[in-house]
Amino acid sequence: MKKILICLFALLIAVPAYAIDGTQLLKQIDRNLNPESYEMYRKLINVEPDGRKKEYTLFSVKKGDDKVVALFLAPASDKGRSTLRLGDNMWLYIPNVGKPVRITSLQSVVGGVFNNSDILQLDYAAEYDVEKIEETGNEYFLQLKAKTKTVAYDRLKMWADKSKKLPTKIECLTEAAMLIKTLYLKEIKDFGGGIVRPSVIETDSPLYKGYKSVFIFANIKQRNFKDEVFTLTFMPNIESLRK
Amino acid sequence: MNRFSCIFVILLVLFISMSSIAEENPSQTPFGQAAETQVSAPASTAEEYKFDISEIEKKPYHIAGYVEFRPAIFWLDRDAALYKLRFFNRDEGKTIAEYNGKLQLEGSYEKGIARLFIRANFDLQYSYLGWEHNETKRMIYEGYLSLKPSDSLSFKFGKQTLLWGKGYAFNPVAFVSRPKDPDDPELALEGVITASADYIKSFSGPLKTFSITPVIFPVYEHINDDFGKINRLNFAGKLYFLFYDTDIDVMAMAGKSRTSRAGIDFSKNITTNLEIHGEFAFINNQRSRVIDSQGNISEKKMDAKSYLLGVRYLTASDTTFILEYYRNGTGFSRLEMKDYFTFIDRGYDVFLLNGDESLLRKAASVTEGNYGRPNPMHDYLYLRVTQKEPFNILYFTPAITTIMNLNDRSLSVSPELLYTGITNLELRLKAFGLVGGKRTDFGEKPNDFRVELRVRYYF
Repeated sequence: MKKILICLFALLIAVPAYAIDGTQLLKQIDRNLNPESYEMYRKLINVEPDGRKKEYTLFSVKKGDDKVVALFLAPASDKGRSTLRLGDNMWLYIPNVGKPVRITSLQSVVGGVFNNSDILQLDYAAEYDVEKIEETGNEYFLQLKAKTKTVAYDRLKMWADKSKKLPTKIECLTEAAMLIKTLYLKEIKDFGGGIVRPSVIETDSPLYKGYKSVFIFANIKQRNFKDEVFTLTFMPNIESLRK
Repeated sequence: MNRFSCIFVILLVLFISMSSIAEENPSQTPFGQAAETQVSAPASTAEEYKFDISEIEKKPYHIAGYVEFRPAIFWLDRDAALYKLRFFNRDEGKTIAEYNGKLQLEGSYEKGIARLFIRANFDLQYSYLGWEHNETKRMIYEGYLSLKPSDSLSFKFGKQTLLWGKGYAFNPVAFVSRPKDPDDPELALEGVITASADYIKSFSGPLKTFSITPVIFPVYEHINDDFGKINRLNFAGKLYFLFYDTDIDVMAMAGKSRTSRAGIDFSKNITTNLEIHGEFAFINNQRSRVIDSQGNISEKKMDAKSYLLGVRYLTASDTTFILEYYRNGTGFSRLEMKDYFTFIDRGYDVFLLNGDESLLRKAASVTEGNYGRPNPMHDYLYLRVTQKEPFNILYFTPAITTIMNLNDRSLSVSPELLYTGITNLELRLKAFGLVGGKRTDFGEKPNDFRVELRVRYYF
């Protein structure tokens, strides 16, 4: 009996030692995708079923776990608009209107498949807990659950390349497990400064059959910013951060 | 009228053609066709998606703007008091057409910590009154020099729009700006000549952000002279707090051009799809001119309290509701408005009887900026419902807006269709229906119905 108990105890200690630490893995994935504080440029392309495209160019900066801002550089009709996220708070600034207004994460300022929380993406580990993790061949399969009700997608299913520790596909689901959209992360590229990550994210959604949205990334650089940059009062000045 | 219809159709076709050409050649940037730096690696994808680095190159200057054509037709209400006031000595028939053109230009130049910015509006209108354009001094909406010695501190000197408040359609706490048009709250407004500063400080903890905005604005001849009493220097200020994820502003204005006033506003996201906001303003010694049904004009003096409560709600099917209740403490009572409309009717009867315009001219003298301002009464309910991309039609947003006067139960209803699917081209078709009985706010407007098309091309 004593031997059995010792064996069981040893087994209990041994199993966590070999298990993958999901939270740690998710944090590693976050860091592989982006530095903790950075600036980047993105082009967002909405593709309609007939092949017509509409393009937006954005400049984004992020700091820490909960601060991110995006400025529209093109097209002319959207130039100067900026969106700010500070934790669960989101604002939209339209130059013509002249004052920032609060928006919700589920809204979309650009139309199409991407919504505001996709544009103002925080670290996955900041918003999600790892519920389950599996290893399948060359991939990790992570099932993530939102930490709070304020996160745009309640559940994520993430497939990640085991050697690169970078996601290849992410499904975004509601609390009732309804699929909202799928992200496909492609074309791994060396951006310099040790940042090697997918340069294209394609998205489709069963809610928008035949439509597709694409993010293309460029000039991702580690850069530090003052906290005051991520404030509602600073929003009209985001352009001044560009070099 | 036919001539203008032709011009309109030609312009519309021209705009659509220009944009279609741009759509067909998405890779043609102002910097040339060659996409030397393509982000996506494999040839197949690279051909499909291009990201030319020259697109994100920063320049010290920028020039942008839009050109707009907005024809409108009004169906007149020939029994309405305000129709009689405006058209008593002319007959324009049952409908009038109006052709509005606008060119908005903006430019900036940046060097070091300094930035020069200018936004100008050129309005041209052809209506039953002939050709008209906005006054030269009103063409510059904004024109200022800003200095930003650090990310925490900035200064602005010149004409700028300081739109305070959290309300969508109404802003009782917007003490240093011109009133918004509730029918089109997102239109750019002409600014005020000021000197202002912004100081921002961020914290960790329940108070995340604090900022202070002091403002000085002179009112002298040719400088903000429509703001109030001239030869006075006025002061205003706003404190902003992001406290427990709630935006809170406290603002005040003092000076001799207008009476002193103070206010507070807030805005907060309750869930990912629900936002609430509110404003409260206290205006000391507010004065307005009141006319009774006999034409006696008196001055009303009071301490006014105006406030607003609103919600913004997004449903799972992407329908957005904006609902606001607005209490206009500076507004007129139901009886005061009835007296005003009764006096106009009386003046019109006298004019028909003997051609004497004096009573109507007297009524007109208390209309501008007083009885004639948008939403002149006490209690209003605003509801705007927008449906994003119904039937999977991308960039198509139908909406309906209603403003109800809760004091006399009259209302305006405005359905609209907006399409932004062609790059830089915005098409909006909007109708306005006014419903109300005799002696009511919306029932006595000069027209019953209006339809307008707005074609706007950004460059």
